Amino acid sequence: MSILVFLIGLSIVVLIGAGVVLFWAVDHGQFDDMETPGLLPLADADAVVPPDQARAATPAHAAPDEAR
Amino acid sequence: MSGNGDGCWHCGEALPRDPPLAHVAGEAHPVCCPGCRAAAEWIAALGLADYYRLREHAAARPPDVDETARAAQAFSRPELARHLVHDRPDGSAETLVVVEGLRCAACSWLIEHGVGALPGVGQVAVNGSARRARITFDPARVALPAIVDAFARLGYRALPLDAAALDDARGREARTAMKRLAVAGFGAMQAMMYASALYFGALDDLDPVARELFRWLGFAVATPVVVYAGVPFFAGAWRLLRARRLGMDVPVALAIILIYAGSVVEVLRGTGEVYFESVSMFVFFLLIGRYLEMRARHRAGDLTDALARSVPQVALRLAADGSTTRVGAFELAPGDRVLVSAGMLVPADGVLESAACRVDESLLTGESTPVGKRTGDALCAGSSVVDAAAVVRVERTGADTVISSIVALAARAASERPRIAQAGERAAARFVARVLTLAALTALGWLVIDPSHAFTATVAVLVVSCPCAFALAAPAAVTRALSVLAARGVLVVRPDALEALAGATHVMFDKTGTLTEPWLEVDRVETGAGIARDEALALAAALARTSTHPVARAIATALPATTLAVLDATSEAGAGITGRVGERELRLGHAGFALRDPAARDATTYGDDAVVLADARGVVAVLHVRERIREGARAAVTSLRSAGLEVMLVSGDTTTKVAALAGALGIEAWRARVDPAGKLAWLDALRGEGARVVAVGDGINDAPILAGADVGVAMASGAAIAQTASDIVLARDDPRALASTHALAKRTLATLLVNQRWALVYNLTAVPLAALGFVPPWLAALGMSASSLVVVLNALRLGREPPIAPPVVPVPAQATP
Repeated sequence: MSILVFLIGLSIVVLIGAGVVLFWAVDHGQFDDMETPGLLPLADADAVVPPDQARAATPAHAAPDEAR
Repeated sequence: MSGNGDGCWHCGEALPRDPPLAHVAGEAHPVCCPGCRAAAEWIAALGLADYYRLREHAAARPPDVDETARAAQAFSRPELARHLVHDRPDGSAETLVVVEGLRCAACSWLIEHGVGALPGVGQVAVNGSARRARITFDPARVALPAIVDAFARLGYRALPLDAAALDDARGREARTAMKRLAVAGFGAMQAMMYASALYFGALDDLDPVARELFRWLGFAVATPVVVYAGVPFFAGAWRLLRARRLGMDVPVALAIILIYAGSVVEVLRGTGEVYFESVSMFVFFLLIGRYLEMRARHRAGDLTDALARSVPQVALRLAADGSTTRVGAFELAPGDRVLVSAGMLVPADGVLESAACRVDESLLTGESTPVGKRTGDALCAGSSVVDAAAVVRVERTGADTVISSIVALAARAASERPRIAQAGERAAARFVARVLTLAALTALGWLVIDPSHAFTATVAVLVVSCPCAFALAAPAAVTRALSVLAARGVLVVRPDALEALAGATHVMFDKTGTLTEPWLEVDRVETGAGIARDEALALAAALARTSTHPVARAIATALPATTLAVLDATSEAGAGITGRVGERELRLGHAGFALRDPAARDATTYGDDAVVLADARGVVAVLHVRERIREGARAAVTSLRSAGLEVMLVSGDTTTKVAALAGALGIEAWRARVDPAGKLAWLDALRGEGARVVAVGDGINDAPILAGADVGVAMASGAAIAQTASDIVLARDDPRALASTHALAKRTLATLLVNQRWALVYNLTAVPLAALGFVPPWLAALGMSASSLVVVLNALRLGREPPIAPPVVPVPAQATP
């Protein structure tokens, strides 16, 4: 009987914990976009080059600044 | 799915004969235009070439970077920036943009990284389904024009929204709904677990202390479900009661309160049965239905965004001395003169002051052929000047413009539409009312016979008849139908539209863009003596390729493989194109232009739709251009008619064109030259005679009838405002999808009724037994679950029949005008 009370108490604590975590996640936008994050592991996002460096690397004929 | 073999590597459009090459990761890929090349190489230079590997759809054609950058300069004006940028307490700034060209998750990924890499930009949060992005940035290091520019270089057009839109009501609604659903789900699972302990304990003598414990535990988990997750039902019921109406929410809220209060009393008294699991499951099931409905509604976009996409935010104001200033469109006042360069949108309603030009009013009218305007003619905000820069004297701005008034007309038509009370809702409300009466009678009866049993028996009646199966009957069938339709490319925005569709009597089609393709095609070619058809067509196509006029485009696509080189091509607005092929001087255009004989234009020899190709010796060929009937239009009309619907055609186009199409499709009831108000009047007249009308359209001019009809159906390639005003969007632009949707709607309604009858039969058997006190709680719960299961399984049978239209490869469900 006492083990039952203990386990049920534990399950309620876990339940409340799960609820708190879920509320936090929802409030922090974790469920706002359900599609893009699925791509993250497939992409090599560390390779992002800051735009000023990227500008130097772009082939001359296409450098967007040239047109202005 | 990266670049395909025969199209542009970036946007997938047809390649020109000698395509530019984009150098990406050491490989050269053919692209269709310098814009695509710049975007592709910029994406690669940022280190984001993975985009091409991740995307599911080809990109939209990129906007002109320089033009966008020039226009974006206006965003740095303090008057405009105040409207578009929101300062946050911590010193950073925030702005919200509508992103045009956003097609799949890879686009969101690309934007988050590509724009986020800009120095000074903090967080970039892209909402793919709403096509919005929220950007936080440091105003000291980066300004709005640079951010808009960063979007443009990646190939997207970003339209900043008014700062008022930052108050994201939809985002909040979605988050709250998710929390309520989670609480109800967790609570229902736990309550069910404790309840099963009670049920099975009751079979083998549960320790009274443990029994007491489980009852209190049930109370503990069901309380947040009722008090927090159940709020939408109580709020809805309260709104209905204040409006003196009885909707679905009233009996639902009553049932929740009664079952919960009854169980609480039993817990406190320590006798009788508790039904915390029933009430939790009830709330959970109902919330699932509400949540799916909300998701569909949010996916449809909203009117603010649609308007922002249709009317430019900046204008080029002309001063008296001829100098120009970029100002926000809202700063314009009647009497101002604005310069609209070729290809740009007119920012306000006004009068043309400069020389004649051609104007594309397709956004407003749905007709794709540009209209010639002369000095003094009226221009509408949102139409685009095709061939030359125009000076416009502003007459009406903002909310007074034609486009705004059409949107307002749509909004009013939508609010005035008498909602047909949903059959499911009506039946459920009636049922719950009966159950409540029965519960009251049970209570009375037992009070007379044996007051100690009164309360227990009354609650048992409520629970056994727990409207779970009933509450599930409609949502299960409708949700199943919605997911089947979504897989077929039919997006149902308002779920009760299915029921309205099933009961429809008339279908009112718009012409252009709905039953016909929004572009033209070459119908017939008559050649002069001794000239082969293909040779003539090759010459015409070569010339036509140098112009963007819709007729020219139709001719160019008639023979895209032509390799003839055209020299000295010039096009004359409203007339035609001249150019040399080899030594031959060619003219393509209306008869008067091509033959250098003004009299020939009026001659009826060639007909309205004729385009003449001529050289120095005379006519080479006469090409007849016409609107192409959409594939499946005929099949759609036939199957809708065989389903017993009356099909009608209404259009703003000329009588001859409408009559021809009506004849070709076998439509007897048609009207031509009708403006939006006229369409709405016809619709109202039909409705007055008791007809239930489905309206199908694609232009802004259709928005009022789409919103006012019992069911509005829009084409995904049409105007955003038309889609916003509709209940159903056909993502594949295939009119046949409407016929199969109608068939499925009918079957859905039939399933729904079968489900409700089943639930009724179950309840008719179980309730009297419960009222007499014969049903033990575990049996009541078992019966309740079984009846719910039957209802769900029955709903799953929907959509197993093949659709009428053949399945096609999915295309992006949105339009990029």
